[in-house]
Amino acid sequence: MKKRTVLGIRACTWVWLLMMSLTLITYMIGQVGVGGVSASMTVLGFALIKGQMLGDYFMGLKRLSGFWRWPVSLWLFLPGGLISAAFMLVG
Amino acid sequence: MQTDAVVESGRYPPGDLAIWVFILAELGAFAAFFGSYAFTRMNNVELFNHYQLTLDKDAALINTFALITSSYFVVRAVAAIRDSDSRGCVRWLVAALVMGAIFLVVKSQEYAHHIGEGITLSTNTFYMFYLSLTFFHFMHVIMGMVILAAVAVKAKRGCYSADKHTGVETGASYWHMVDLVWLILFPLVYVMR
Repeated sequence: MKKRTVLGIRACTWVWLLMMSLTLITYMIGQVGVGGVSASMTVLGFALIKGQMLGDYFMGLKRLSGFWRWPVSLWLFLPGGLISAAFMLVG
Repeated sequence: MQTDAVVESGRYPPGDLAIWVFILAELGAFAAFFGSYAFTRMNNVELFNHYQLTLDKDAALINTFALITSSYFVVRAVAAIRDSDSRGCVRWLVAALVMGAIFLVVKSQEYAHHIGEGITLSTNTFYMFYLSLTFFHFMHVIMGMVILAAVAVKAKRGCYSADKHTGVETGASYWHMVDLVWLILFPLVYVMR
């Protein structure tokens, strides 16, 4: 039995603005040309946060319980972990 | 002005469950692609860093803005149909399609530039990954736009309502997946070095 609840469009609007802001910061880091593990992990962290927000709010997974609550989070962990490992190993 | 939309919560994601199985398969393929890129880069750091500088970050920024905004518009389309507002749903879907079209135009211009410089998949390892990864995603954007367009046509014909809108949610879920992949692709290929 499903229950009806309320999804705030206002919350999604804030999420959209936050995602756009993090994108702009990522772009600026790229324009400066900063490299290395710290900068790369910061940028990757922004991407993972954006991905989690997209899954939670835009896809609506935040309101689920059980298995389907976690696929996007687990997926983000997979490429996030692989990319982090590869960049950290290079140093 | 509408500020809230009624949504279902429970154990299953919005839309047809079959699309979610498909989405997970697609995400798995992209995860493998991203991992391959990162680990191949380990042995070619200088080459990857050098040729990454040849990419157009301005175009990538515009495209990221376009996809994030299109996803937000799709959220609004789903909210509209949950409120039995078919016309609003169509308007938001058309707006999302415009954003998708902007992505395709900008990305096509990037490809045209690279092709004009004689760059192909066999130019070097970086371009092999860049071209294949972004083109794989490009094809998903086209597929997503076809789905959204089909949903918009059905919405315009009044096929969806507050009680019956699984098709809208299914199309929306696929489109969000396309956006999700780009959120990782953009920093990985254009920024991280």
